[in-house]
Amino acid sequence: MPRIRLEHITKQFSKGSKAVDQLDLVIEDGDFVSLLGPSGCGKTTTLRMIAGLETPTEGEIYFDDQCVFSQDKGINISPDKRNVGFLFQNYALWPHMTVRRNIAFGLENMKWEKSRVESRVKEICDTMRIAEYIDRYPAELSGGQQQRVAIARTLAPNPRVLLMDEPLSNLDAKLRNDMRAELKRLHMNTGATFIYVTHDQSEAMTLSSKVCLMKLGVLQQYSPPLELYGSPQNIFCADFMGNPSMNFVPCKGTPRDGAIELEAESFSLLFHPNSPAEIRSGQELVLGIRPEAVKIVPSGGIESKVISSLPTGLDTILSLNARGTILSAIDFGIVDYKMDSIIRFTFEGNRFVLFDKESTNQITLGSLSLRA
Amino acid sequence: MNRKLNKVKSFLSKPYNILLILLLIFLTYLVVLPLISIIRDTFVVHASEKSRIKQAVGSFTLYHWLRAFASNFSSILIWEPLWHSVYTSVLACGVSILIGGGFAWLVARTDMMWKKVLTKLFIFPYIMPSWTLALAWRNFFKNAVVGGAPGIFTAVTGIAIPNWFAYGPFPIIITTGLHYAPFAYILIGGVLRNMDANLEEAAIILKTNKMRMFTRITIPMVMPAVMSTIILVFSSSMSSFAVPQFLGLPVRFYVLTTEMYSTIQGTNPGVGYIIAILMIVISVAIMLVNQYMIGTRKSYATVTGKSANISLFHLKGARLPLSLLACLIVLCISLIPMISFILQSVILTDGDYSLSNMTLDFWIGLSKGGNDYQDKAGILRNADVWKTLFNSLKLSVTCAIGAGTVGFLAGYSIVRRRGSWLSRLVENLTFIPYLIPSMAFAAIYLSMFSQQRGIIPSLYGTFAILALIGTIKYLPMASRSGVNSMMQLSPEIEEAGVIMGVPWWKRMVRIIIPIEKTTIVSGYLLPFVSCMRELSLFVILVTANNRVLTTLLFFYDEKGWAQYGNAINLLIIFIVLLVNFIVEKLTGASIEKGVGGK
Repeated sequence: MPRIRLEHITKQFSKGSKAVDQLDLVIEDGDFVSLLGPSGCGKTTTLRMIAGLETPTEGEIYFDDQCVFSQDKGINISPDKRNVGFLFQNYALWPHMTVRRNIAFGLENMKWEKSRVESRVKEICDTMRIAEYIDRYPAELSGGQQQRVAIARTLAPNPRVLLMDEPLSNLDAKLRNDMRAELKRLHMNTGATFIYVTHDQSEAMTLSSKVCLMKLGVLQQYSPPLELYGSPQNIFCADFMGNPSMNFVPCKGTPRDGAIELEAESFSLLFHPNSPAEIRSGQELVLGIRPEAVKIVPSGGIESKVISSLPTGLDTILSLNARGTILSAIDFGIVDYKMDSIIRFTFEGNRFVLFDKESTNQITLGSLSLRA
Repeated sequence: MNRKLNKVKSFLSKPYNILLILLLIFLTYLVVLPLISIIRDTFVVHASEKSRIKQAVGSFTLYHWLRAFASNFSSILIWEPLWHSVYTSVLACGVSILIGGGFAWLVARTDMMWKKVLTKLFIFPYIMPSWTLALAWRNFFKNAVVGGAPGIFTAVTGIAIPNWFAYGPFPIIITTGLHYAPFAYILIGGVLRNMDANLEEAAIILKTNKMRMFTRITIPMVMPAVMSTIILVFSSSMSSFAVPQFLGLPVRFYVLTTEMYSTIQGTNPGVGYIIAILMIVISVAIMLVNQYMIGTRKSYATVTGKSANISLFHLKGARLPLSLLACLIVLCISLIPMISFILQSVILTDGDYSLSNMTLDFWIGLSKGGNDYQDKAGILRNADVWKTLFNSLKLSVTCAIGAGTVGFLAGYSIVRRRGSWLSRLVENLTFIPYLIPSMAFAAIYLSMFSQQRGIIPSLYGTFAILALIGTIKYLPMASRSGVNSMMQLSPEIEEAGVIMGVPWWKRMVRIIIPIEKTTIVSGYLLPFVSCMRELSLFVILVTANNRVLTTLLFFYDEKGWAQYGNAINLLIIFIVLLVNFIVEKLTGASIEKGVGGK
């Protein structure tokens, strides 16, 4: 299984704007990497460039030490020689072939023996649990079944790398959850390198070993999902990850004895950084507070009014008005709050994030306490 | 009893129910009864058959059926024309698909040059009357063997054209095939352009080589479009009349339509009616085959996707030669025919194309009072031509208003009552005229209305019969577009008016019609254009009194007045192009948009 390396990859379409801009990325052997970002961030283009379906305008791509693309050296190995599997968003099953023919087609291209083709088709169909539909046409299958056939077709030749372009986005919510679990098992069983494009942050969180978050063609952060969630590099990353999303409170900071005094519109707080941080006195900052760090307790130091309360049974999402600042909070278990009632909360934990307002970059993580 | 009465009352309180009932009566009278009438007509003696059958006119006889199927003449009357029709149509399909499909591939998938101009010109025949290419062929290649002066080709090169090249099956196949090639281009090109690029990318990733890709993925994907092209071209060319009449008659090459024309105009209309029934049966059979194919497991209507990134196939060294070849074919089917019509309409003596032999007499010359055709007034100065032109326009306007209005109302009421047997019945009835080949339909109306029927007097030779048949024949066109547009309009829009107590006519005038403006306009304009260039529907129904431009062209041609014929042809083409231009400007819909032209 190869290690995939992208160096200074840039893709500019004829219209002028850059779909991908100077992307450097190393995907380790056996990784499950998600390319994540809002639509138009260049994630699908990146995937297609790795597959060879799209030609970069600049840069180099390596599979292990083999260069498969280089603008400078004029190398561009065609997609069929890169030994990758590609799973399309709309499955791209050939409508005029049965499931069996769809899966066997690629194997026949590789000049496999007939009996070997047959046994491999049977084997993969059993794995994907589509053996009973083997003689049907794609139009006669449900979305989920088509999805399995597409995966089977892609996996049949045992590709070294599996590239997936939003493969679950055409499925309904329940099926999508089932397929997520299945994909994760598949990754473990095949040991192949998976590269997965999605715009759904929870999908990227739950599936991948590493997430590559992009915005307008530029890499924002490339790290394991929990690190991306817990220690976002900038406001965009912090905002993109998590649902309900992070609260952002603009404030002014003053350093004091290793801690930072924060002066927001409606409260004064003391920020204790986990590791020493330098700020200028009076620097404009943004404080990031995850909703789960807003802890509702009767003894809480801040009083607030419940604007809305949305219980699901698993948790309840609250919107609170604390002295004019609107914060979202989450409370777990079967609880509900009366609208317009007054409750008290406190800030808990040490994963509050301080961003510089101007550059939007993270300064440090830390914990909060109220200032009298 | 009261309950029943209330039921009837509430049924009739819905305007669309009343419309459906009216349509049912209207269509039964104008579509179903004529069908019965033509069957009956194959068993009775007609006036022109008195002497050969020796029975009273109108009495029962099996003569026609026996003569058609169990006599020495059956091969000449039925089997030979049928065979001719079938094989010319099949081969014409081949020509269409080869030329149209090939062109579609060049445009959609390769880096051929001058795509924009070429596609515009390629669909030219699609707008033209069906005989355009046939007439042009004759202008170029007619020879002295059959009589008259040789055509442009021989005049220029001095090479004599053999009969098989000038007349008969070969030119019929080529001109029909080329005329319908735009169908193939539009249908196949649409698939090639909109086909999901991922389907081919998936094959590339799975290491498919170019050859296998083409035969196993691309070709099967366009197969449904190829099949619909075949069905369309086959049935169109089976029912085409003008082309075999112009190119087949000089060498006595008869197909079903021309045979039907000659029997109905001649001494045995009964056999002509049998041929009409035969053509209807064939047409229905084709439709059933089509339905069957749509219903099979492998069918896939449209497989479209985001095809933004289809990579064009580089023709490399073949780019220029192929582009030039495409250019040549396109010129042959678009501009060159026009030039031949112009040339042919200005020469004084046939076969001499020198400048000194040219005159505008046939366009604007004054009548010299003599009896020879050269003494007639030019077509722009000829009162007869103006009268005919006016009659054509009047007819087209009448048919357009008739078909457009009935079609829109039919679409409205069919969709509002969708699912009920009444709505289904009316929908099927509006579709029947589409299944009947034009000339067979004309034969039906001839048999039905050539004598007094109930309160309707004999309509033969009147304007009314042409207006009636045109309206009914183009009804499917208008009602299809009516149904389609009404399907997209949710009933809530009208119900909002119902709740507020707006009366039906006001809902139509103030809500529905303004929303559906564009479709209604095209529902009127399409029949208009079709009617202007229609020949086979009218040719057996006209007399000197109710002549239209197309039949006047036919009449001049039969007389051998080539100059007038070509001039009239240009006049028709001019009007058709003009109206088409107006349609595009008004509705914003152009034919090539259907192919996704850039």
